[in-house]
Amino acid sequence: MTEDAILRVQDLQTHFFTRTGVVKAVDGISFELKRGETLGIVGESGSGKSMTAWSILGMVPHPGRIVGGSINYLGENLLEKSRGEMRDIRGSGICMVMQDPLTSLNPVFTVGDQLVETLRVEYNEPRRSLRDRAIRLLENVRIPAAEDRLTNFPHQMSGGMRQRVVGAISIARAPNLLIADEPTTSLDATIQLQYLRLLKDIQEQTGAAIIFITHDFGIVARMCDRVAVMYAGRIVEQSDVEDMFDRPAHPYTEALLESVPDLDTDVDMLPSIVGQPPSLDALPEGCSFAPRCPHAWDRCQVYPLEFTVAPGHVSRCWRVE
Amino acid sequence: MVTTVAETAGTAAVNGEHPLVRLESIRRHFPVFRGNLLRRRTGTVKAVDGISISIMPGETYSLVGESGCGKTTTSRLLLMADQPTEGNIYFDDRPMNQFSGAERRNFKASVQAVFQDPWSSLNPRMRVDQIVSEPLITHQRLSRSAVRAQVQELLQVVGLHPFHAERYPHEFSGGQRQRIAIARALSTRPKLIVLDEPVSALDVSIRAQILNLLKELQSTYELSYLLIAHNLATVRYMSHMVGVMYLGKIVEEAPPIELFTNAQHPYTRALISASLPAHPRRQREEIVLAGEVPSPLNPPTGCTFHPRCPFVMERCSLDIPVLTEYTPGHSTACHLYNEGDANTC
Ligand SMILES: Nc1ncnc2c1ncn2[C@@H]1O[C@H](COP(=O)(O)OP(=O)(O)O)[C@@H](O)[C@H]1O
Ligand SMILES: Nc1ncnc2c1ncn2[C@@H]1O[C@H](COP(=O)(O)OP(=O)(O)O)[C@@H](O)[C@H]1O
Ligand code: SF4
Ligand SMILES: [Mg+2]
Ligand SMILES: [Mg+2]
Repeated sequence: MTEDAILRVQDLQTHFFTRTGVVKAVDGISFELKRGETLGIVGESGSGKSMTAWSILGMVPHPGRIVGGSINYLGENLLEKSRGEMRDIRGSGICMVMQDPLTSLNPVFTVGDQLVETLRVEYNEPRRSLRDRAIRLLENVRIPAAEDRLTNFPHQMSGGMRQRVVGAISIARAPNLLIADEPTTSLDATIQLQYLRLLKDIQEQTGAAIIFITHDFGIVARMCDRVAVMYAGRIVEQSDVEDMFDRPAHPYTEALLESVPDLDTDVDMLPSIVGQPPSLDALPEGCSFAPRCPHAWDRCQVYPLEFTVAPGHVSRCWRVE
Repeated sequence: MVTTVAETAGTAAVNGEHPLVRLESIRRHFPVFRGNLLRRRTGTVKAVDGISISIMPGETYSLVGESGCGKTTTSRLLLMADQPTEGNIYFDDRPMNQFSGAERRNFKASVQAVFQDPWSSLNPRMRVDQIVSEPLITHQRLSRSAVRAQVQELLQVVGLHPFHAERYPHEFSGGQRQRIAIARALSTRPKLIVLDEPVSALDVSIRAQILNLLKELQSTYELSYLLIAHNLATVRYMSHMVGVMYLGKIVEEAPPIELFTNAQHPYTRALISASLPAHPRRQREEIVLAGEVPSPLNPPTGCTFHPRCPFVMERCSLDIPVLTEYTPGHSTACHLYNEGDANTC
């Protein structure tokens, strides 16, 4: 584990044991996250992004189970923690950012009370100074007239304001790692921008690392330092963000980046990817992208090893061997 | 000189062609009631509030804007699923409110729709051939073999196989379902198809397939589209004309390249700034708008955008800006660009 890494996932395998067979939702993925770094996990629906997140949080739903690998957080393997220890870690160290702020706010307490209670866990101080901290937190997430807002109940605020309150509570927990699972998918563009900025604010003030799960390379381009591309339960390419956009080294990444329309350029016809995303219960032998890959050849019947393209840039494709 | 768009004939004047469909000063206001037993009218939602647009034959007109700005209401008026409170819709220059029975039937066959969610828009109990041929049968009397032949042809046109006719929607992926919805829309040989977010529910890797299919069909059959989409890059790729809506009004209109390289209205500029970059080194100027879209039940005075506008001036809360031609084919409704007119309503 590199010095400043706070999270290191190694060969993680999370499988679902269904009546019709074993579904390998996460099938041996590895990545590392440094303090303050933002990692994007991109992939289509069903590629295993959420199960990666739930695995880190120790909340894989039934009939799923982590069957292999390790998740090292601040030097300790989370897979060896008890339920209670995991609950504590989720309360402060690793936080999931919810898209719907209503589900994470308590409707019967004021915003001020909820902030003060969260702060009490972190700081052993009298109520008055906790209240001052709460005001500063609301100001930090750009809530105007913050002091007046302390007495508001969640339902008295607009959706955007509630989102910021949830952001303020996240900051109060002083997390080391925030996991955001497609938090902006159903938001309008200008609201999405506000939200992304809020996440950056939280990150700047807590120094937390962020795992940003998305299907949108645009979000990756705007938000992330590193990116891992998932396809059918595996990470097929991983690198620094700029390097990925400059030199995609997996045919899936390459084709995906080309197939997305671009606001700044004109094209007559977009290059498109043939076929459909795979279903995990009928994966081909070898490279799972092979049926859709324009470069596939015999070699691809064997599952590709991970090859290094450049320092910190790896791809599971025989072409780069 | 300042001309309002209502005075000119819109894009028609520019390329000397007649619009297939023209919406003129359309309003759709919904009354709002309180109470169950003694219902009282307590207000009006101005879902669509005076818009004029022209859709040219073989072209795509796109409506963009955040949720609640009136895009779906506009499309429902066009589909005759709803009627305007004010204004008129012209089809081949005939006003809709004067349609004869035959004209009405012809219009309904000529305007079809494809919706966002291919999971809920297809009846799960119907077979694909029934789904595709349903509009055909309601609009034409055809023999069984003729229907079968047409279904086969339609499936082929949208890139499906003849044997798919006997299957049910649940046997298909999202992209294939959207192909089925498109085949169904094509069955009546329409002139215009309303596309309401046609790819946003689909997996990223198949969106380009569907967009390309729509483009090919447009050039093969000279189709017009009314496209509703929130992704500006998709709009640029698909459109010939774009209207930016805010709270029931068109605030800017221009062909896509002009709009996205030379946007005038602060709302359009904010939308562009909020759209995600295609490369990490191409970050945009950040125009972060304050707050959210206000309720159309109680819209702000003057320019309805003024409470969120970074460039707000004194007159913006007093005067309603009129959509005005800025350069030929490019109109905007913003006081920053028409100091001369003093239109107080
Ligand atoms: N409750 C479940 N039972 C069986 N399989 C499941 C269950 N939940 C998820 N899966 C499988 O795990 C895969 C990955 O799911 P998920 O991580 O939610 O994907 P993503 O977040 O990338 O859309 C899915 O393709 C599905 O096959
Ligand atoms: N039948 C209706 N009764 C009352 N209000 C309506 C009705 N239909 C739509 N609205 C309101 O009109 C506004 C515009 O809605 P809509 O056209 O669906 O917007 P969009 O498609 O752009 O999201 C919204 O505020 C919506 O709540
Ligand atoms: S390993 Fe083969 S099939 Fe897979 S992406 Fe590379 S070339 Fe294509
Ligand atoms: Mg998910
Ligand atoms: Mg809508």
